[in-house]
Amino acid sequence: MAEAQAQAPSPEPILAVSASPAADLDATARGVHAAALAALPRASSARLHKLLKQQDPAEVWSQVVAGELPRWASSEDFADLWYRHARDCDLGALAEQLESLDAWVTTPVSPEHPPALVDDIDPAPILFRRGRVPDSGSPAVAIVGTRRCTPTGRSVAMELGAGLAEAGVTVVSGLALGIDGAAHRGALAAAAAPVVGVVGSGLDRVYPYRNLDLWDEVTASGTLLSEAPLGAEPEGWRFPARNRLLVALADVVVVIESKRAGGSMHTVEEAVRRDVVVMAVPGSVRNPAAEGTNLLLSEGCPPVCSTDDVLVALDLATAGTAAKDAGKAESPQANRVAQNSLNPLQKRLLQLLDDGPVSLDALVLRAASPVPEVLVAAEALERCGLLARDGSLVMRA
Amino acid sequence: MLATIRSATLVGVWGHQVSVEVHVADGLPGFTVVGLPDASCREARDRVRAAIISSKLKWPPKRITVNLAPNDMPKSGAGLDLAVAVGVLAADQQLAPETLKNMGVLGQLGLDGSVRPVPGALPLVDAIGDSPVVVAARDRCVAELVAREGVRPINNLKEMFKALSGTAPWPEPPPPPPPRRADPEPDLCDISGQPLARWALEVAAAGGHHLLFVGPPGAGKTMLARRMVGLLPDLTPQESLEVTRVHSAAGLVLPDGLITRPPFRAPHHSSSMAALVGGGTHMARPGEVSAATSGVLFLDELGEFAPSVLDALRQPLEEGKIRVARSQGMIEHPARFLLVAAMNPCPCGAGGTVGCRCAPAALARYQRRLSGPFVDRLDLVVRVDRPDPADLLDSRPSVSSAEVAQRVAEVRTLTRKRGVARNADLHGSALDQHAPLDAEATKVLRTALDEGRLSARGLRRVQTVARTIRDLDDGGLELRAQDLLAALSLRMRLDSTGSLIHG
Repeated sequence: MAEAQAQAPSPEPILAVSASPAADLDATARGVHAAALAALPRASSARLHKLLKQQDPAEVWSQVVAGELPRWASSEDFADLWYRHARDCDLGALAEQLESLDAWVTTPVSPEHPPALVDDIDPAPILFRRGRVPDSGSPAVAIVGTRRCTPTGRSVAMELGAGLAEAGVTVVSGLALGIDGAAHRGALAAAAAPVVGVVGSGLDRVYPYRNLDLWDEVTASGTLLSEAPLGAEPEGWRFPARNRLLVALADVVVVIESKRAGGSMHTVEEAVRRDVVVMAVPGSVRNPAAEGTNLLLSEGCPPVCSTDDVLVALDLATAGTAAKDAGKAESPQANRVAQNSLNPLQKRLLQLLDDGPVSLDALVLRAASPVPEVLVAAEALERCGLLARDGSLVMRA
Repeated sequence: MLATIRSATLVGVWGHQVSVEVHVADGLPGFTVVGLPDASCREARDRVRAAIISSKLKWPPKRITVNLAPNDMPKSGAGLDLAVAVGVLAADQQLAPETLKNMGVLGQLGLDGSVRPVPGALPLVDAIGDSPVVVAARDRCVAELVAREGVRPINNLKEMFKALSGTAPWPEPPPPPPPRRADPEPDLCDISGQPLARWALEVAAAGGHHLLFVGPPGAGKTMLARRMVGLLPDLTPQESLEVTRVHSAAGLVLPDGLITRPPFRAPHHSSSMAALVGGGTHMARPGEVSAATSGVLFLDELGEFAPSVLDALRQPLEEGKIRVARSQGMIEHPARFLLVAAMNPCPCGAGGTVGCRCAPAALARYQRRLSGPFVDRLDLVVRVDRPDPADLLDSRPSVSSAEVAQRVAEVRTLTRKRGVARNADLHGSALDQHAPLDAEATKVLRTALDEGRLSARGLRRVQTVARTIRDLDDGGLELRAQDLLAALSLRMRLDSTGSLIHG
């Protein structure tokens, strides 16, 4: 430490965030010091939590740049390592970057920091945020699942996202491809309750890039959170850490389609560690993307067959009212009406699909009708919403 | 002394007359060839000298200058060898120059004086066909297709010298070889099941619509595509001549006579741009798309072709010809092919959802290889899957190619009455005139447009496919909703997960 001090000619220039004191204050409010701390090497969340749970980040930062970290802050001597990195850190540029992203950085001492993440068994000491401050009082449900989902899984995720948002529940998810993204798209379409997205990369690194639109929409009408410092690439180890935040922020975790192993199952483990209720959507035994969820069900997780099942688990609805609501849904009746206007070939195709999904070729062979007629009938059924396609297969919707 | 011999050289798929002027004069012995010869043309010097000496004729120890007129057109290939050789003999007064008046000469020379066939014999003979043409014996059949004043087949330089100097008659042409039995085209009845893909083949063949099969490995995409040729009608006389001309110019093996069946070309996916669209350093040789004109161009493993190569196919797909520009000029080749392509839905073949081992990024990269404008030109995109064994066993016997070809021929007859060869060629007002929509059909199209499933080009293309579907059904004038729905359900697109969607 003495050596470090000898190398430091003067700490003042580093502390100077900006020329004007007003801007200086603003940057501090944005949490520029916390952002700089998050970017230090080997700054694990446990280590940072020790430092930040009581102290203001600006104070901690001044200790770091002075090379004067309290010895209790870590079992090893980080003062030197951190001091060398902090010396090259340009707080002004960092403040500008936060400003341009309109991102805020919070620590346990700031009132906007989600309390659930402070009291957690594996707390998140520094959180980057875009969008509004999440409402810690409202019920929240995390919807997770495989990136490689079936169209059925995707539509279930959208419906569930929309249904929960309409009931005023905050939908928390990871903005990944597949189930995660679909749940958020559903919730955003309903536009009834704010959503929370927790991502694994830095807030300036959109990943997956294909979800850029979703990323922007979540920021605009909800909250985007990340524990990773700005510029952090979506490295593999960041996602398990992200999953624990999803769980910590949620009252219930719903898994829609997951393979036997994978990120969603890791999320489930985190939920079990925290006693958060895990629910799963049942899937076909033939669907490899539902192996994990069916396993969860067999292990005793409550099943989710409709939005109401989740609402009941949240105590937002009672089983009785939920059942009554289900009667009002009318979708079976609507189907029945549509079925009455079907022609004989269309009815026959639906009968053939009762045995399960088949390829269109097999459908043509089994219907023993000319190809164009079967194609036209299938088109018509798809338009009425009675038939769905998944890759090469057609099935009853 | 000066002698002028008529011969021809290839520019693209067309022959152009060349006057081979040979000047023999006193001076230091030497041999120069001028008039834009290419490398193989310039090498004629050495071949001609050796051939004349091997034929026991006299090589003049004089200054020999050969000019290939017109001087501004590049000459290529060794087809001018024989003309240069007889030119030298005539200019040296070993032959009377008047015997060579009104006579075309075409042939490569061997060092022993033998005369060999030239690539592109058909267009070359066509270019000098208004006088008798001396050709290699092996070029005789092709030359006789277009020669208007007779063909003089010879085997070697000595024979020609004797015939020209009057010491022996022109050699008797050898009897034509027995016609080779054409390999039978693969038949559709070899395939059981796959009703959707078979029907798509039928529609594509009947209307000339470009077709893409998407499916996992082993589903039978290649097998199906190879059966397309068997469904197409014989070439018309003009098409036949054009195809033979292109194949001759491309140096492909020709049958003994005109090509009468549609060609089938299946270039490998590693093919370069020049191999596919034609080209070369100086003048453009016809490529695979031209060799497939009036026939089928089959691109297997479409996703493995270089994207730039595929995008080069846009012009021929739209216009039926390809223009290739090189430093020495621009050449237009015919390229009116029917594209049949096959690809896997994703690199691993399983197609996005269940059991697919591809990373999402790899999938997206695979799909991006096909550019939007290219895919927009594919009218029929059909999923082909491994058939269910149970369905294979109890399905009815498959329909043979002959039966389908009969229906295709009937549609083509209907189409010719509309003034085009194929329904896919119907454009603009002709399309509205010959494929009007009834009220229900208009509604179907409007819905598809509103849902964003169709582009303006896609709309017209769907209309032509629907026309073909109606033609295959009963040939009625107005397109019904069911025709358009069927056409729409054949116009699928790959989405980002490798599964087919409407679009």
